[in-house]
Amino acid sequence: MALIRSVFQDELDSVSQSLVDLTSMVSASMEQATTAILNSDLNLAQEVIAADEKIDDFQHEIDARIIDIIARQQPVASDLRALVTALRMSSDLERMGDLSHHVAKIARLRHPDPAVPTELIQTITSMGSAAVKITNKTGIVITTRDTDMALEVERDDDEIDNLHRQLIGVLIEPTWKHGIETAIDLTLLGRYYERYADHAVSISRRVYFLVTGKFAS
Amino acid sequence: MTTSHENEKEKMETHVKPTSLASVAQAHNVKVPGTRALGTGLETRGVHAWFGKHHALADISLDFAAGTVTALIGPSGCGKSTYIRTINRMHEFIPGAAMAGEVLLDGKDVYAPGTDVTKIRLQIGMVFQKPNPFPSMTIGENVLSGLKLAQIKAENKDDLLEECLERAGLWSEVKDRLGAHGGSLSGGQQQRLCIARALAVRPQVLLMDEPCSALDPGSTLRIEETIRHLSDSMTIIIVTHNMQQAARVSDYTAFFLSDGGPGQMIEVAPTSEIFSRPQDPRTENYVTGRFG
Repeated sequence: MALIRSVFQDELDSVSQSLVDLTSMVSASMEQATTAILNSDLNLAQEVIAADEKIDDFQHEIDARIIDIIARQQPVASDLRALVTALRMSSDLERMGDLSHHVAKIARLRHPDPAVPTELIQTITSMGSAAVKITNKTGIVITTRDTDMALEVERDDDEIDNLHRQLIGVLIEPTWKHGIETAIDLTLLGRYYERYADHAVSISRRVYFLVTGKFAS
Repeated sequence: MTTSHENEKEKMETHVKPTSLASVAQAHNVKVPGTRALGTGLETRGVHAWFGKHHALADISLDFAAGTVTALIGPSGCGKSTYIRTINRMHEFIPGAAMAGEVLLDGKDVYAPGTDVTKIRLQIGMVFQKPNPFPSMTIGENVLSGLKLAQIKAENKDDLLEECLERAGLWSEVKDRLGAHGGSLSGGQQQRLCIARALAVRPQVLLMDEPCSALDPGSTLRIEETIRHLSDSMTIIIVTHNMQQAARVSDYTAFFLSDGGPGQMIEVAPTSEIFSRPQDPRTENYVTGRFG
């Protein structure tokens, strides 16, 4: 009995570690996608696009393991919450990978031209680094199950929302001179970063639920 | 019945306030069945039990709303079976056994002096771990045996027989062989026959002590369906070691534990709460299989 439960605990720990690993993959992906879009780096954009498949495969592998554990161990209480939230977190992380992939695709589409005009480089740089920062913090929240830090992630998201609003403000100025196509690219880019951070917030909220059994208000 | 604990009983009675399952549900903001429409239900106040000097159970106060199913879970030896056996006065069959506290059915203490114990056991039926039909009696005789023993006259025995077997989920399987011996049925059918037998005397409360532990999954499922149907018309308390069974069939779950001393009730809550977010870490560790 003890041995079986200890195997079960190892399986739960392994799922948690895999989610942290997936978070690192997603964070690296967004960091590289941001570099690719700011530097019009086609090779790096290609790497990010190719890496998305690995993220998807890893998510499928984690989900299969979770379903197997649920089927064999019939978890309840905090174990059940851990596994159900892990399923949803893996889905959030997979979407974050998709959003990095979308950023890289804009870089590839506009290559060799820059996708980001000079006056918005700082804004996109800030959005990219804020997105990576929030993802890394989310990885720590998954590892430590620190509920205070989980709620902090939600506040960190405000920074990206503010940058998003700034970006849209520039795009709708009458003085905008880079044409409709660039404006659409940047509208989409802003949306990708903003949604990416929202998924990180969602993961942190799930950790809060996992620990407390209550939904973060 | 040993009465050497009378003083202790008096002492217990002064402070006991039963845990009302309805108030527990309200505290958890969970909707569960269990109105008082079927009667005033069953209540235990400060129940203690002893086997000789061994104090087996301490201070169990619970208020079971009529029409609910309550599962009692906990490791072996924590007093679950002892507790339900105090409810219909089966505990006193054991030499040297004693109890303190009150068991109130419709507000009346089943241990009050002058109480007809046979009558109590008609009102509070019991189904045991191992199916125990009378093997040489026919299926029909088994179902009606309680009436015969209690000398109760039924107006239409055929109707009663069909009704009880129907409610126990066995009618369609045995209606063409009511004259066959009880012992000729499968284990699962025998257990449902025992349930039908318990139903024939129209109990208000049905106590079930691990009723499915000797049955295969299919028979277990049929008994569980029977429990859910019966709970429309009676109060059911089921002792089970099967966590999934407790989760499936009960409205409330109470967790019992002995830390070397007498068994105690650690936590009682709506079943959905016990299996999703128990409040006490000992409950959490037990339901997740980390001990016991």
